[in-house]
Amino acid sequence: MSIFTPTNQIRLTNVAVVRMKKGGKRFEIACYKNKVMNWRSGAENDLDEVLQTHSVFVNVSKGQMAKKDDLVKAFGTGDQTEICKQILSKGELQVSDKERHSQLETMFRDIASIVAEKCVNPNSKRPYTVSLIERAMKDIHYSVKPNKSTKQQALEVIRQLKETMEIQRAHMRLRLAVPAKEAKRLREKLKPLLQVVESEEFDEELEMVVLVDPGCYREIDELIRCETKGRGSLEVLSLKDVEEGDEKL
Amino acid sequence: MVVTGLDKIKTLQRNPANIRNLCILAHVDHGKTTLADCLVANNGIISSRLAGKLRYLDSREDEQVRGITMKSSAISLHYSTGNQEYLLNLIDSPGHVDFSSEVSTAVRLCDGAIVVVDAVEGVCPQTQVVLRQAWLENIRPVLVINKMDRLIMELKLTALEAYTHLQKILEQVNAVTGSLFTSKVLEERAEKLKEEVNRDKDPSGDQVYDWSAGLEDADDSHLYFSPDQGNVVFASAIDGWGFSIQHFAHMYSQKMGIRIEVLLKTLWGDFYLNTKIQRIMKGAQTKGKKPLFVQLVLDNIWSLYDAVVIRRDEQKVEKVMTSLGIKVMTRDLRHSDPKVLLFAICNQWLPVSKAVLSMVCEKLPSPLEMTAEKVEKLMSVGNRRFDSLPERTQELKTAFLQCSSGINAPAIIFVSKMFAVDTKALPQKRQRPLNQEEITQRREVARQRHAEKLAAESLERATRSGSAPGEAAMTRLPLKPEEEEEQKEVFIAFARIYSGTVKKGQRVFVLGPKYDPAQGLSLLPEGCITSDCIPEVPHLSCCTVENLYLLMGRELEELEEIPAGNVMGIGGLENCVLKTATLSTSPACSPFTPLNFEAAPIVRVAVEPKHPSEMPKLVSGMRLLNQADPCVEVLIQETGEHVLVTAGEVHLQRCLDDLRERCKKPGRELKHAGCRPSRTHFGHHWFSPMCRRSNNRAEELQSERLKFAKIEISVSKPIIPFRETVVRPPKVDMVNEELGKQQKVAVIHQSAVFQVKEELCQGRSSDCQHVDPDGLVTLTTPNRLATVCVRAIPLPQEVTVLLERNSELIRTLELMNSSLREGRAMDINLRTLEAIAELKDHLQSLLQGRKWRNAVERIWAFGPRRYGPNILLNSIKDYSRPSVWQCLEWRHSNDQIRAPAFPLRDFDNSIVSGFQLATLSGPMCEEPLMGVCFSVERWDVESVAFSQNPDTLKEDSVSPEALQYVSSHRNSEDVIAERKMDASSVDCYGPVSGQLIAAMKEACRHAFQAQPHRLMAAMYTCEIMATAEVLGRVYGVLGKREGRVLHEEMKEGTDMFIITAVLPVAESFGFADEIRKRTSGLASPQLVFSHWEVISSDPYWVPTTEEEYLHFGEKADSVNQALKYMNAVRRRKGLFVEEKIVEHAEKQRTLGKNK
Repeated sequence: MSIFTPTNQIRLTNVAVVRMKKGGKRFEIACYKNKVMNWRSGAENDLDEVLQTHSVFVNVSKGQMAKKDDLVKAFGTGDQTEICKQILSKGELQVSDKERHSQLETMFRDIASIVAEKCVNPNSKRPYTVSLIERAMKDIHYSVKPNKSTKQQALEVIRQLKETMEIQRAHMRLRLAVPAKEAKRLREKLKPLLQVVESEEFDEELEMVVLVDPGCYREIDELIRCETKGRGSLEVLSLKDVEEGDEKL
Repeated sequence: MVVTGLDKIKTLQRNPANIRNLCILAHVDHGKTTLADCLVANNGIISSRLAGKLRYLDSREDEQVRGITMKSSAISLHYSTGNQEYLLNLIDSPGHVDFSSEVSTAVRLCDGAIVVVDAVEGVCPQTQVVLRQAWLENIRPVLVINKMDRLIMELKLTALEAYTHLQKILEQVNAVTGSLFTSKVLEERAEKLKEEVNRDKDPSGDQVYDWSAGLEDADDSHLYFSPDQGNVVFASAIDGWGFSIQHFAHMYSQKMGIRIEVLLKTLWGDFYLNTKIQRIMKGAQTKGKKPLFVQLVLDNIWSLYDAVVIRRDEQKVEKVMTSLGIKVMTRDLRHSDPKVLLFAICNQWLPVSKAVLSMVCEKLPSPLEMTAEKVEKLMSVGNRRFDSLPERTQELKTAFLQCSSGINAPAIIFVSKMFAVDTKALPQKRQRPLNQEEITQRREVARQRHAEKLAAESLERATRSGSAPGEAAMTRLPLKPEEEEEQKEVFIAFARIYSGTVKKGQRVFVLGPKYDPAQGLSLLPEGCITSDCIPEVPHLSCCTVENLYLLMGRELEELEEIPAGNVMGIGGLENCVLKTATLSTSPACSPFTPLNFEAAPIVRVAVEPKHPSEMPKLVSGMRLLNQADPCVEVLIQETGEHVLVTAGEVHLQRCLDDLRERCKKPGRELKHAGCRPSRTHFGHHWFSPMCRRSNNRAEELQSERLKFAKIEISVSKPIIPFRETVVRPPKVDMVNEELGKQQKVAVIHQSAVFQVKEELCQGRSSDCQHVDPDGLVTLTTPNRLATVCVRAIPLPQEVTVLLERNSELIRTLELMNSSLREGRAMDINLRTLEAIAELKDHLQSLLQGRKWRNAVERIWAFGPRRYGPNILLNSIKDYSRPSVWQCLEWRHSNDQIRAPAFPLRDFDNSIVSGFQLATLSGPMCEEPLMGVCFSVERWDVESVAFSQNPDTLKEDSVSPEALQYVSSHRNSEDVIAERKMDASSVDCYGPVSGQLIAAMKEACRHAFQAQPHRLMAAMYTCEIMATAEVLGRVYGVLGKREGRVLHEEMKEGTDMFIITAVLPVAESFGFADEIRKRTSGLASPQLVFSHWEVISSDPYWVPTTEEEYLHFGEKADSVNQALKYMNAVRRRKGLFVEEKIVEHAEKQRTLGKNK
């Protein structure tokens, strides 16, 4: 039994401990920091670059090795390297700073590129660049939640960004065709959902080409389907209404 | 040294014979602006003491800070010699290569040019460029060899050495001129063989400097610089002296009694003075005698420097001064810096301004002497010959030549650039010195304001415990409107009037560069004048001359009218003139030839505001910048990037500074608004009228600081686009070993492994897919009802190029098809149809061979966005659908369209949509695909599901997810049909159409990955002009940046090489700068986007065979270019990048952060 006092306490440096409970016992292995995630994602293939030592511990910081019997009982094999691999891929660990940092950064970028893809500058009908969105996200102090999907978070970001800058979801261009009978009634109902009416023809049936927010699509669809009992039609002309090509000022 | 009044200049403007329009050209730092200072000082605008130090014409703050000129600016000077009085419109130009566009604007407006050459450095790259520019614009140059003092003080040459040095410089300059002449002659000879005989009298090599002797009869003699021709001045602008041979010839002819003509001929050259017989003899060099120039001219100057600066011999100085008859102020005499004394003596003895100005007045042509050749060149745009212009236009030539400012003469004006001036600098708004009354009034106002401020402060203090922080700001708010007014900027056109008189308020035609006088004349009624409302004529508009200004460097003087032959500023044109224009009262006038720019803009950067909300300001700022700068391009790209294209790094810096200043931010203005009036008021207290000018400047700079509140912008590399493609399986591996069959499979397997890996990280299951070893991918939808088999095949390169070139055509084709399917008639241009048929034939001729049999007919769609360079091929055995070419057939059988010949399968559109999505973003780094053909080989849909409940067929239930994917132009019948299906088959996996889209997309992606895939990089073609000695370095830079030289050839008649190379766009950032640095500016590149090129290396390649391990090492240590690009893009987009966070686990820094 050693007594931990500040002077004889030996700190583990550059060690990341991966733990796993199996067969009622806790096993640990000693790994290098910032390497386990790489191993799991497949970027690192060299086991020696990941493991400090191939032996399995009960407690890494105390240096207590696991007993051979326990290992065989829990894993069904005595091959320490094999067990290490199992623990590496399934065990739990504290994600180290660089790993977390790179993961969050990747997610942040991902969110920014989704936002940039979905949105336009309403004045010029042109998309914003990813770097501009990134900066705007930093300005509103958006913090990435690692356990929410990037798409969900992107929608959240768009909502928040609208308060500080001119940004909107790129509109969908739709063509609506409604039989004349229901047209008048339906038009009133549709009006608040439509952003821009580009063209409108009214003879036997009402035909409109409109720009709508992608969020309203389901509602419009529902409305047309129910009100006209299936005789109206809705057609997507383009998913994103953006300016194409380069423009010289 | 009299300040010339405005009236004087007005009268001078009316006499074109005595007007000289000239510009100063040189390499950077050869002393253009200093020389200009001396000339300006001669007119009393600035003190002669400050000449050379003030750099009066560098009015921008950054010009003063950096010490280089960045824009051309004009000033009108008055010079009188004997009984003649001249008006000189002097334009100072920048020397830095980045601003050579400004030189072009200056050169165009002038008749003559002063070329300045540093006596030490000699001919430099920009010297050659400006000589060429002057040559191309047909303007006559004179030479000033500047910085002579450096020969004495720095190099410590003796007079004789200096003489030979000067000879060499003259030779260099003349060699450049000569080569320009020969290249022109050679060009002409190539054009017209018959002119060969009398033109071919080129200077022969043995006459080195004595051009005047043997070449009197040759027609190029007037081109060369020679002191005895009187077109060379030796000067030291910083010390204020300069002379031409004439000056000394006059002096010595009186002193020694030799005829002045003889002296003029002999003072420069291999002549010496035989003191015994008092005669001038030839052959000083061979006899070892001092040439006349050294003996009579240089020795004197050398001894003066020796006495004044080096030895500081007071007696000697006294002696020299008395002999020269110069009186110097005691203050200068006692000054501790000998340079001051030197300046005082020299400036009186050999004033540089007098030497230069008299040479200018004598040697440079007046506007009246404009050559017919130059006029024709100016008026014939492009390759049109002057003779082909309409008769009335040709008549205008006489107006040019006469340069008459009569009422009947048509006004012809050329605007070479627009420059921004803030309204405060305009003469209308200029602050006059205040009189006593106003001062007291202002003082009163200030006092009041001060009291208010105090009151407000006390109020604030009182209310601070409460919550009224807005109070103080509120009191300041009313000041804002007047501030706003002052902050506006106006554009002034930098122009010259060639004929007629322009008056304030006159209406003129603005002729765009593409205006055709023949067309204009036919469209406009005879005798039409500008005040009429004119019919629509292309490239012609009307505008009013609102203001006319005399350009006086940083100041402007307002004028009522300006007669022909002058350089001027015109206000009120900013709405109709972008950068350059021709103005005329006659519609017969043809637009002038566009300026020839030596440097095209090539440095590309993306700019964006630091605060995204300031985007509109950035855009308006960029618009202004575009107008104000002749050599900048701004554009918004499809990606939303704002790209700024400039000529070089320094130019870029300036443009960014301008942008930062011009995009205003009201929030901060308000902040300054409060403090500003009191400060200007304070200023006027101590400004005495005597020091007004210099103080004005200080104030100007200060107010500029205050005025431009900056918006912060960030500058970055522009986004570089890539394309993804597949290639044929390689026959050899990386070490050129033949690949066996097994290994080929291994290659494919390898990419399959990657794809599984990718899937794992994206969390997708792959249980319903199967990949054949030969690259056929079979994929089933999650509900196991539909199966697609897709294979990816590389398209031949020519096909890709063809498709890319005809994307517009394919777009119209698709439009036609969709309207056809809907049964709507569409008026189709016959020519378009022909073009489509031609495209089809072309495709057929390119897609030959067994593999492509009948492929063109089977094309299902193009992608991405329905017009891209990828093809979806219908290779399903039992499915025939109308081809994309149906509109062609429609032409033949007009009535058949109503009855569709082929039954369209359900979900046909889902397949297309899936294909479109797959081609829009590839699996490598989500960039669009290019040159890939996806051939659908099998497509089974189990129809059991659809007949399950036929009663619900009428009920429409379309799911938005499905429609989300369908991009454009859908057949409405199709939609309905689809919906019927959807209704019947909604299960836990969503509607079938949506599933099929996803399945098709995935199948395409996997098929793509099953083939060896490559990245395609955008390439620039790069044309480089370089001299022979720097060729090696050019190659070095190109090689470093993955460039490939296509060919190089020598330009006939010069020592310039023209190299054509291709360079990846990804490597071009900083290329121009590097190449200029490495070649000391002797190579100038031009970059134009040319094509897409496959990067030959496989981004996923790792060494597998023994040989490869040997050659590349285990980790493939040599950089994989494709992988580098791919990872950069993936990282930018936030995609998964397979790379280690730390390379070596053991080498991490293990200490805590705070230890």
